[in-house]
Parts: sequence; C-alpha cells; structure tokens
Amino acid sequence: MVIGAPLFAQPFKFDLSHLESKASNTLDLSLNRSTLQFAAKFLDGSDPEEADVKKLIEGIDSITIKSFEFKSAGSWSQADLDKVRNQVRGSEWSRMLGYKSAEDGEVAEVYVREVEKKVAGVAIIDAEDKSLTVVSIAGKVDLDSLAQLSGHFGMPKLEGKRK
Amino acid sequence: MDWLDQELKQALARKEPPAGFADRVSRSARSPRVMMPRWIAAAAAVVVVAGGSIAWREHQGRLAKEQVMTAMRMTSAKLKHIQGRVREVRQ
Amino acid sequence: MEGAGWDFDALVREHQSMVFSLAYHFLRDRQAAEEIAQEVFLALHRSRTDIESPAHAAFWLRKVAAQRSIDEARRRKRRPQVALEATPEPAAGGTPGDPMLGELLRRLIATLPETPRMVMVMRYQEDLEPAEIAALLEMPVTTVKSHLKRSLALLRGKLQRRGVGEQ
Repeated sequence: MVIGAPLFAQPFKFDLSHLESKASNTLDLSLNRSTLQFAAKFLDGSDPEEADVKKLIEGIDSITIKSFEFKSAGSWSQADLDKVRNQVRGSEWSRMLGYKSAEDGEVAEVYVREVEKKVAGVAIIDAEDKSLTVVSIAGKVDLDSLAQLSGHFGMPKLEGKRK
Repeated sequence: MDWLDQELKQALARKEPPAGFADRVSRSARSPRVMMPRWIAAAAAVVVVAGGSIAWREHQGRLAKEQVMTAMRMTSAKLKHIQGRVREVRQ
Repeated sequence: MEGAGWDFDALVREHQSMVFSLAYHFLRDRQAAEEIAQEVFLALHRSRTDIESPAHAAFWLRKVAAQRSIDEARRRKRRPQVALEATPEPAAGGTPGDPMLGELLRRLIATLPETPRMVMVMRYQEDLEPAEIAALLEMPVTTVKSHLKRSLALLRGKLQRRGVGEQ
C-alpha cells in the first residue's frame, strides 16, 4: 500500500490463501496496468470484439481472476465463502447483484467499490459445488459494456428461440 | 434440389473426429484441470526463435493480448451468467 | 448434466461429428476443428445447469460451434492467406459425383466471407432451413436467404469458368 497515493491507484487485492490449500487446481490470471496498456497496443481496432475490449480496459488498473476447482463437492464451506465476502464489506463496497440457488447451491454476487462517488472497482464472487471463482477489477469499469462482451464470445443468449 | 445442392450436401457431409475424441472430452470434463484456454497454452508453447527484440516484443504482445482477452471473456461470461440467473429468479 | 433425463457422455457421442464437422468444414483445419470441438463440449459441460433438454443442448452446440469457428477465422485473418486462384487446381473441376468436385467445392466455400460461409455449412452439412439458420446465427431470415442465393450464384459462376456443371 503506497502512502499518500490517491485511492484510485491502490488496487484492492483479495486474500484467498484459505481456498488455495483446498483446491485441486487453480487458475491465476493477474494483469496490472502496464500489462493492460501493453496488450492494448496489440488489440485490433477493426475487429469488433477486440475494439470493445480495448475500450473497456482503458480505465482499468488491474484485473485479477482466481478460479479454484475442487475434487469434490463440499470442499469449501460457508465460512470459506464468508471469508471472501467479508473482504468486500465496508463503506466503499456495496453489493449490486446476487443470488443463491436452492437447486444447485450456487452462490454468486457482484460488488462495486466506490471512491469519491466514482466506481473504482468491481468484484465478482461465483461459488459452485466444485469451483469457486473470484474476479477483481480495479479502476473504472463499465459493467454494461462488460456484460455485453459475452455475446461476442460464443456464449449464446439462452432466452428466446431455441431448438 | 438441383445437382449443385446434391454435390454440396455430399461435399459438406459430416466427418468423424479423430478416434477417441469422445473419450478424451469426457475425461477432460470430469478430471480436475486448470482452465487454461488452448490459445494461451499454444501461445505459451511457442518457441521464440531468433528475430531480435522486435520479434520478442511481438510475441510478448500477443501473449499479453491473449491473456487480456481471456480475462475479459471469463469476467463477461460470469457477469452475464449471474445477471441471467438473477433475472430467472425475479420472473 | 447427469440426471434430469440426459447424459453428457451420450451427448458427446451423439453430437461429436456435428460439432467437429462444423468447425472442420468452416476452417478446413482438422487440428483446429478438434480443438474447437473439445472446447465447445467442455463449455457445454460448464454450462450444464443452463441447458434445459437434449434438444436445447443440440441447438446450443451448433450455435457455440459456429461462433467459436467464426472467432477463430477472424483471429487468423491477419495471417497471410493464399488466395484460391493462386493454388494449383485441375483445369476441369471434375464432373458431378466426382470426389475432385467435392474437394473443389469445399475449397471454394472456404473463400467465402465468414458469415455466408457458415450459412452454407449450416445449410448443406446440417440440412437446416433458413429460419433455423437465422435463429442460430441471430440474423434475419431474409439475410440468410440472401447469403445462400449469392453464395450459390458465386459458386456456379466459378464452377462454370472451370467447365463444371451446366453450361
């Protein structure tokens, strides 16, 4: 933590060590500002998907994704999940969206961090029976544009027509 | 259906994937694994042959770009999934 | 996806050639097609709670296979491509029923832009009606029909120039 630096420049970082020891596999993707800016130079503005991503990452300081897979259901406990959630409780964070499925036990939540009345970050927590994913984005995030991206990426909208 | 339609149907008839494909998929779906998309694995496996700093920078840039695209795809898919489930619950 | 009446492994066995062939006929690259097909099925497995029925799974698989194949083609776009005219071809493309004609048709289809190419593959590999293709690719039926009409006209013209088919 850099003393005196504006809050925007201080990326929030989850402590997920309690899950790492339980996971059978972990995906760890961590991109800081310089990596994002470097990558942006190689994004093709004439490709619609890459152009959207280029625009999205303009205001982002860092993206961290940690996704844990577990050998069996029940490997993570409610206490484990609360340990993650407790890190996004506080005056800066508010829960924007969330649900819990009685059917399959999935719990998923989206939190937004505001500093000086501006969005300074987003956190997504998605816990399923054999996996738990935490996404943390620091910086200015356009959530609507971010959600729209998946229409490009081969995940079909399941509402509407189906065969 | 004219002759060209018939020929196109024959030309584009389904082909079988390589032997053992279904077994490999089923095993992958069940076994724990790091969710590493193939483009990252492929990019990581590329051997950078001499070409100087420009080639290296290009290679690093492609890797960085693929990582960013992967991160954005995963995040977007999660967000969309959550929005979808919330919508279902509200209906 | 086990339980609720359907079985993931059975879905893989049932649809593997459909998914593989969509990618293969679109990209004309066996290795890429296998990789894409594997990704598509693994994506299905991850999204299993969103799938409502085996029929929905089939629709979903076609849709995602098409989109992933198109994404891959776009990623490859900047790589040097050999234009069809630059590749050696038989002076005559063969006669109807001739396997050489089949190969020529596949190569001609590969030169189409991504969207009409996928429309053609869906039409002739999967025997889908324009309305079904429109639903999968999320475009108006009129656009699908227009792509089919133009692509077929283009193919006929190229075949005629090679002395194949109706003169």
